[in-house]
Amino acid sequence: MELIGLLNYALFMAIFIGIYALLSLGLNIQWGGAGLFNAGIAGFFAVGAYTSAILTSPAADGRLGGYEMPFYVGWAGAMLAAALIAWPIGKICLRFRSDYLAIATIGIAEIIRLVIKSEEALTNSARGISSIERPFGDLPYVSSQAAFLGIVLFLVIAAYFLVQRQFNAPWGRMMRAIRDNELAARAMGKNIEYRRLEAFIFGSALMGLSGAVFAAFNRSITPEAIDPMVATFLVWIMLILGGSGNNKGAILGAVIVWVIWSVSEIATDQLPHEYAVKAKYVRLFLIGLMLQLVLRFRPEGLLPERTTGVTRPEDEKSQ
Amino acid sequence: MDFMELLNFYLMPGIVLGCIYALGAIGVTLIFSILRYAHLAHGDLATLGAFLALAIVSGFGVSPLAALPVAMIGTAVIAVFIDKAFYNHLRERPKIVTVMASLGIALMIRAVIQVVWGVDSESYVRGIVRPENYWGLRIRDREIYTIAFMIAVVVALQLFLGRSKWGKAMRAMSDNPDLALLSGIDNRKVIILTWLIAGGLCASAGVFLGLNTELKSMMGWHMLLPMFAATILGGVGRVDGAVLGGLIVGVAEELSVLVLPSEYKTATAFVILLLMLLVRPTGLLRGKVL
Amino acid sequence: MKTKFIALAGGLLAATALASVPAKADVKIGLLGGVSGAISAMAPSMLEASNLAIKQVNEQGGILDGETLEGVIGDSACNPQGGTDAATKAVNIEGVSVLVGPHCSGAVLAASGSVSIPAGITMITPSGTSPEITGLEDNDTVFRTVSSDDYQGRALARTLKDAGYEKVAVAYVNNDYGSGLANAFKAEFETLGGEIAGFAAHEADKASYRSNLAELADGGADTLVLFDYGDGTGLTILRQALENGFFEKFVGADGMKSEALIEELGPENLTNFVTSAPVGEKSDALDAFNKAFQADGGDPDAIFVTTSYDAAFLAALAIEKAGGDKAGIAAALREVSNGEGETILPGEWAKAKKLIAAGTAIDYKGAAGDQNFDAAGDVPGIYALFKVNGDQFETMTEMK
Repeated sequence: MELIGLLNYALFMAIFIGIYALLSLGLNIQWGGAGLFNAGIAGFFAVGAYTSAILTSPAADGRLGGYEMPFYVGWAGAMLAAALIAWPIGKICLRFRSDYLAIATIGIAEIIRLVIKSEEALTNSARGISSIERPFGDLPYVSSQAAFLGIVLFLVIAAYFLVQRQFNAPWGRMMRAIRDNELAARAMGKNIEYRRLEAFIFGSALMGLSGAVFAAFNRSITPEAIDPMVATFLVWIMLILGGSGNNKGAILGAVIVWVIWSVSEIATDQLPHEYAVKAKYVRLFLIGLMLQLVLRFRPEGLLPERTTGVTRPEDEKSQ
Repeated sequence: MDFMELLNFYLMPGIVLGCIYALGAIGVTLIFSILRYAHLAHGDLATLGAFLALAIVSGFGVSPLAALPVAMIGTAVIAVFIDKAFYNHLRERPKIVTVMASLGIALMIRAVIQVVWGVDSESYVRGIVRPENYWGLRIRDREIYTIAFMIAVVVALQLFLGRSKWGKAMRAMSDNPDLALLSGIDNRKVIILTWLIAGGLCASAGVFLGLNTELKSMMGWHMLLPMFAATILGGVGRVDGAVLGGLIVGVAEELSVLVLPSEYKTATAFVILLLMLLVRPTGLLRGKVL
Repeated sequence: MKTKFIALAGGLLAATALASVPAKADVKIGLLGGVSGAISAMAPSMLEASNLAIKQVNEQGGILDGETLEGVIGDSACNPQGGTDAATKAVNIEGVSVLVGPHCSGAVLAASGSVSIPAGITMITPSGTSPEITGLEDNDTVFRTVSSDDYQGRALARTLKDAGYEKVAVAYVNNDYGSGLANAFKAEFETLGGEIAGFAAHEADKASYRSNLAELADGGADTLVLFDYGDGTGLTILRQALENGFFEKFVGADGMKSEALIEELGPENLTNFVTSAPVGEKSDALDAFNKAFQADGGDPDAIFVTTSYDAAFLAALAIEKAGGDKAGIAAALREVSNGEGETILPGEWAKAKKLIAAGTAIDYKGAAGDQNFDAAGDVPGIYALFKVNGDQFETMTEMK
């Protein structure tokens, strides 16, 4: 194997980790910060991806689009659209607590997925949208990947610092107060509903951005990309494994889980050739087992939440 | 469209499907209320039960109904084992950790099924079965079995929970775990019992789904979301609620074709659920609010 | 605890490092299949068929200077995430010369857009039927051995109309395959004066479709045209339609030509079922493939196996023709199958190798058609209508 091949693979993994890190950071605002069990990540990811696709792709018959805007406009539009759709959803659903919110958001994400799959005039239905503009897409392979990684890294770092600043600001302390003891926070005169909605919308906007980056990276977006397994549950595993409430943990979780997800295939490829297909099933087993082991030995996540002062009462919120 | 057509082609399939959802949802609701987490491996556990029954059917040449109890016991034991090996030590942790663990278990179970039984569609009985005609009502034996089994299970379970010592202990754990522990209820036994019941019923859901359609390695995973919708619709912790929820989801999915484009069939369960949560967050039968 | 985790991760990485010890100077083809995910039931047979081509190459003298051709299987999971991941590994870690796959259109679009086109690697998909693939700006590196579903849908409409079908209902699975076929079929059938008395998409993998069928049957058609997969939801729907007597006649497209139907429903119940599927030149090519695949333990009636075989065999021919030069493979691919030159049938590797060495032009006639690529890298399929006879599918008429 050539070194350049390894480098290309590393670049690709880094880009994907960046895309998932944006999702994971978005979820961390919602769950880690505000205790909102959003299990509909795929929905916001999809809204972002399709919004940017419609804004930046060339015209096509029979569907909305053809605006051919520059990618940054598309990406900003994606964040805006995800936030806009999060607003009414949050307005209606945030009154449900924990598991109920989870099932409500799963349901909404499924409905979004079905709409995307079926409404030809809006999204070109099952065929998806292709020929999306990719920044630096005209460069040769390696430099194009590296340049794209630069953009992704910039976005992840910017998102990290923004979220981190918010977490450390009075806003973050207030959110934790609401999360851990709603009654006390209410008694202090905090507008809990409004603050929760704020966290929900911010998180969703980041998820929308992630979708836009994903669509641009692949130059296409199709409904298969918003399957709940790869776009919702995988992100949850990342955040819980990395350490919810801790932004570094959220990013680290994305790194670890994607590396396991991707590298495990190379490991199972070592099985004899006649088991080549079965090896792919074994791979899923290994991924599940790795998850069990990490949860067994680091159940609070690799980088647990750092709280100053009193520790929060464990488990209160999911009871 | 006359009434018989509505009954035969919309309501009956919905009821049969609802019974299958209900069998799964009962397990989900028990785990939800006693152990307090969403068990995401429930669908794949049902697939495992269905394939265990297939192994018995093809290995010993018995009918699927004869294989059903064995598959139920087998799956129940596996469920207890999974709990012991993977969930038990996470009990003191935030529940979300166990939810994630169950997602990993779902992947692991599916992988085992795909390695052992492959990925082709299988069926218990080859060929097709045309329905019997009872005064215009067209129904097959397997559909009668499905409905009868579900009714028997619910009656038995309600009696068990209401009358027996261990059933009362389960309800106590569900209502107030701290109080239940204080009053000397053996926590571990209740948990094992919960898994035995949930695992067995889960297997029966898989077997009946396989009996009424085909067996596929992803069949349970695709049933997971309707099962959860049924659980919450009926009210968490309520066995009768899970049944009612399952039936409503099943029938609504089939009836939705009359009013919605058929590609939105899957969304029906969620639309009902969202409306339900808005109007009455405790579920139809006043379950608990988690 | 941390150490345990590190040890685990380390172990995994070590396994990877072992994996990447540079192997012999083998020539590799990446076989990207949807092993997990939505089409997991179809993928294994398709990969087997591709592997058959590779096996034949190795049995008949190997590739280039007697080197071994190796198929590297990657799991594209039928989604863009898995597709790009598998393609990146195949191209960069394994260093494959050609990618055969991915299987699903979404994965094809993503993997070509972010991996194979920028890296200049030729991609041949055996089952990505979306019309979007036609329009890719691919520097002529993306090909497919299956025709765009637009073509098959229209051909099926013409054939049915000729055979006297006047009024049909259409049910299709709501993905790029089903909707592409259904819309093309509908347009052509209506142009020809036929009546579509019901047209509905369905979501895959539900347990009951009886209400869908009842709704479709309400239109009064006696024929159901079903665009789905015969070892998946298509089987469920066909079973429920037969059991409840919703329609009298049934028509499927290539996805429905699956042995699973005969096995699960029984041939006696399928007397009124016909299905279209791609066939090779006067079927000589198809026969050659069927025989070889059966001898290898494969099921020639499985879905997309002929196209998978052709894709892998064409890939090998192109590598041979290009002399192993990755950049020249796309152009070589066009040369080995442009309708001019000595005919090569499936399995005739030794003959092809000799002709290529002698500089003679060759023309591959595949199991799924002549595989003469047009400007966009698509093939116009050759289709025939099949019916069930005994335990097998049997050709009825050619489709035009």
